[in-house]
Amino acid sequence: MDSVLKLTMSSDPRYLSVVRSAIERYASLIGFGEEDCRWITLAVHEALTNIMRHAYHGKEDQPIEISLRETQGGIEVVLLDHGQGVRPEELTGRPLDDVRPGGLGTHMIREIMDKVDYAPYADRNELRMWKAKPAAGD
Amino acid sequence: MQIATRQAANATVVDIKGDIDLYNSPEIRKVILEELKEKRTTRLVVNLTNVRYIDSSGVASLVEGLKVSKTMGSRFMLFGLSPAAREVLELSRLIRVFEVFGSEAEALQAV
Repeated sequence: MDSVLKLTMSSDPRYLSVVRSAIERYASLIGFGEEDCRWITLAVHEALTNIMRHAYHGKEDQPIEISLRETQGGIEVVLLDHGQGVRPEELTGRPLDDVRPGGLGTHMIREIMDKVDYAPYADRNELRMWKAKPAAGD
Repeated sequence: MQIATRQAANATVVDIKGDIDLYNSPEIRKVILEELKEKRTTRLVVNLTNVRYIDSSGVASLVEGLKVSKTMGSRFMLFGLSPAAREVLELSRLIRVFEVFGSEAEALQAV
């Protein structure tokens, strides 16, 4: 079996801090440095809050599945939800020249992770993110 | 997360302790906007010394406070950013829009 950690959480923001701890620890265990662990945790956290706010519209009892997998060169994170999907082109983040609250999370995810794929299916939405480990000597 | 306000010199200081995320950022937003809009605080200083983690909803609350302060003609300042909090503000490219100080003394001196 691959090195996988699977978690299922309710879409309740109270649990975000618990899940952050697990993600940060997992990233550390598979060899990411302290700073990268913080960034990966932030990206996954932002993706989870997007699901809570936009897919489930603040409902706190809906399921979110989190899968963390060590790949040959880094980490793959997959988030599944069963809420309202969006068109993939809506997840491009917004220009940051306009100083206003909101819309920052997607920008952060794309800045932090090396690759982000989002697919809305009939029965679920799937967000897949990858980040490579720094090459030796970086 | 704990949040409290106090007077220091001629400013109101908002002390925040703990992580700021989607769970508690609405409370932070409420306290900041109450100070600016209802109490008409003219100088609001946010103490982030004891904040280890802040997410985009927390940043959004601070941005909203900044925007309201400009509308109200007030000053809105931050101090005591942890490396992690500073990284998030830098990543969102919003650190440039805030008045950021290293310590409370420096912030109050600038008021």
